[in-house]
Amino acid sequence: MIEHRRRRRGGQEAEISITPMLDIVFILLIFFIVTTSFAKEFGVDMNRPSNAPVKEQKRTEVIAVRIVADGRIFVEDRAVDVGAVRANIESGLARKPQASVVVVADRAADAGLMVQVVDQARVAGAANVSLAAPAG
Amino acid sequence: MAITRRRAADDEGEISLTPMLDVVFILLIFFIVSTSFVKEPGIDPQRPVAETAAAKARGNILIGISEADAVWMAKRRVPLEDVRRLVEAAVAENPESSVVVVADQRASTGTVMDVMDRARAAGVTTVSVSAEPQA
Repeated sequence: MIEHRRRRRGGQEAEISITPMLDIVFILLIFFIVTTSFAKEFGVDMNRPSNAPVKEQKRTEVIAVRIVADGRIFVEDRAVDVGAVRANIESGLARKPQASVVVVADRAADAGLMVQVVDQARVAGAANVSLAAPAG
Repeated sequence: MAITRRRAADDEGEISLTPMLDVVFILLIFFIVSTSFVKEPGIDPQRPVAETAAAKARGNILIGISEADAVWMAKRRVPLEDVRRLVEAAVAENPESSVVVVADQRASTGTVMDVMDRARAAGVTTVSVSAEPQA
């Protein structure tokens, strides 16, 4: 009692105790420290043509890259190596600059190969790379 | 002047908490902003290497596909039919999230495409496939 009054007179203005706030802030801080994970995922964007009715696709030119089940790659029906995909798409784009690249990958082909082909097409400068499954 | 008066009043010296509080708040805000609640798929497949791989800051729905085409989400192996429902639930939790398919490079393309189609059917517009950036 006496202590209290003495303090009041000494400090002049009334003080709000910040201890409970500090407790809450620390608990929040610990929660966020524990739950934060800084693992960054790196990825390549994939366009998948939708099943919706095709819009404005009729006139655009297409460079088709096929990946067959055993891993062979065909750029416009020419068998090429993974390393040569980029050069082939570049020359294809030089002939038809507006073309979009469609990667038609067999369902049994390796996903790694498909990612590499899409990546190489993008490196070659194709603005629009999409991924399709072969018909049938 | 004020300090002297106060000292005399409460006898024991007090440590000012204000600078500590400032630091704690800055840390708190930093962690709140940087937290993204990524749901780890539970497997760590061998990712393909790609030159155009870019960091996916918003990619917080990770779907793992193992070498044997098993689909993993949130540390559990899930059947392919459940992917859509699980992605829908994750999107409802955080509408800004995007999907990153973490596929092993020997997984089959068909499974990757199936998972991507289901993620898209669940309403996620940006789906990407995880890759290792080239050193």
